[in-house]
Amino acid sequence: MIRLFRSLIAPATGAAAVAFSGCVSEGVPNAGGVPVTEVRPDQPGFVSGTGVESQDLVSISDRMAKAILGVPEIARAKTAPHVVLDPVVNNTRFPIDKDIFLIRIRTQLNSRSMGKVRFLDRDTMRALERERDIRLASERASGDTPPAAGFRGADFVLSGKLDGISTRTSQGTSDYILYSFRLTDARTSEIVWEDTAEIKKQGLEDAAYR
Amino acid sequence: MLLLALAGCVTSLPRRPPPPTGDPIVDGNAALETSPPKDRVLWDDRIAASALRVGRYGEARVKLDDSIAQIGGILGDSESARRARGVFHAESEKIFVGEPYERVMAYYYRGILYWRDGEPDNARACFRSAALASSLADDRPVPETYVLLDYLDGYASVKLGGDGADAFRRAQANAGNRPLPAYDARANVLVFAEFGQGPQKYASGRYGEKLRFLVADSRVHDARLTVEGRVVQLPAYDDLDYQAITRGGRVMDYILERKAVFKTVAGSAGDLALAGSAAAATRIYSENGRRSEGAEITAGALAAVGAVGELVSAATVARADTRCWNNLPQRLSFSSLSLPPGNHSLTLEFLDAQGLVCRELTRELTLHIDPGAPDTVLFLSELNR
Repeated sequence: MIRLFRSLIAPATGAAAVAFSGCVSEGVPNAGGVPVTEVRPDQPGFVSGTGVESQDLVSISDRMAKAILGVPEIARAKTAPHVVLDPVVNNTRFPIDKDIFLIRIRTQLNSRSMGKVRFLDRDTMRALERERDIRLASERASGDTPPAAGFRGADFVLSGKLDGISTRTSQGTSDYILYSFRLTDARTSEIVWEDTAEIKKQGLEDAAYR
Repeated sequence: MLLLALAGCVTSLPRRPPPPTGDPIVDGNAALETSPPKDRVLWDDRIAASALRVGRYGEARVKLDDSIAQIGGILGDSESARRARGVFHAESEKIFVGEPYERVMAYYYRGILYWRDGEPDNARACFRSAALASSLADDRPVPETYVLLDYLDGYASVKLGGDGADAFRRAQANAGNRPLPAYDARANVLVFAEFGQGPQKYASGRYGEKLRFLVADSRVHDARLTVEGRVVQLPAYDDLDYQAITRGGRVMDYILERKAVFKTVAGSAGDLALAGSAAAATRIYSENGRRSEGAEITAGALAAVGAVGELVSAATVARADTRCWNNLPQRLSFSSLSLPPGNHSLTLEFLDAQGLVCRELTRELTLHIDPGAPDTVLFLSELNR
């Protein structure tokens, strides 16, 4: 009888233990946190979305910088052409730091071109104008005739635009982003170079969030 | 065994926030410091709304960026989401990102701040993300949705020199018979207004498995701004109560319903087994005093099965997640106007359903327009928390 009793009670108790295991705190996930991991910016991290991410920024700005250096008007120029950066226009559904693409393209060009391209600083125009005015005033006060001073005009304007198409269905969320950049001759308004890159990402949220 | 199992449920004591000060931003930040990571977005959102209302835009910006970093990603397979779907864990164990109307508001507020910072394209991006967050993630017909998200999307496009006609048409379709004001590209003051108390959440059903929204029509229905004799109407274009209750069911509701059914079945099976055990126990000794071994075994086995059923039922958590962005407004409004540089005196009035002014809510304001500045954004809220 005892054997029979055991054969019935033991599984029942086991089942109860399994049931209870649902509320056993087998450990808060990542209770000790996740140690800081250095991730290459051209690699996707473990936090991701369908928007603009660092790996997109790196790959696209690298590609655009390489392409610009191959443009005949830049590559064969006798004197280093002066380029001004126009803020990127964001037509997507993702708020972005609009300057970050152009800053990276600029730094890539500066480091790779060995002085083949010069950039004009339009971000600090107010400060530059103030400094110029102070310098002119000081030269006038000292009786010198100041030279006609002015800021240099650009030979080319580099501009960019982000356009996107987003969809959301039962299959998930999908975002297509078209990155387009162009270099325009500031004197003739001729577009001397234009290139695009496109990235599509999609994902489906966990059922707990749907 | 039972004691051991229950002991396993005990974790370290939660940190307690300091006593409330009455300042929603201070108290919110204290709660954010001490609450578990799964509630971070909840506190970010609440603090951001409070900060916006008292003009602490930097604080609101930081909190909304933190919130959007969570809600803007794809919330894929995670440990907390898996637990929330599990039978023995509550839905509230998942990371809070809010229901669609709550996600919409995080983007909407961030959009206002981007516009205030002179970035209408990023503002537009936020309004577009908000519109996507409000859309249905399944193939049901789309109900009437927000007016302002499309309207502001188009307005930002117009301000950027683009064409806002498509977005305006969508906004007008959502607005129905009420004509929307045409975009004024030269307007330099954008007025965002909000009034009324927004939806709250509660759980109903036998086990609290049904998420429901507590909506009560707020007293304030409209607002108006008088600027040096000129009256600017601020009608309610969107109603968060309506958005909360008309979106339909969630996939999670189906999971919770199954949890509730499981809980009921396990409990019923337990009850039945215990009743059977009791009945069998009455037959262990027959009238002539003989002991029945079979009845004894049956009673014992059924008691064990019954206990397991009851325990499983008790351990099943079917309760819906009622964490709520509890300081949202009910109604949203917008208007634009042109004002010359300098200081301007404004009177803000809130109106009830009959169009009568709620006098105790009237406020006098001063607005400064910088010469040469891009759009000046004015955020007006009836709520003060």
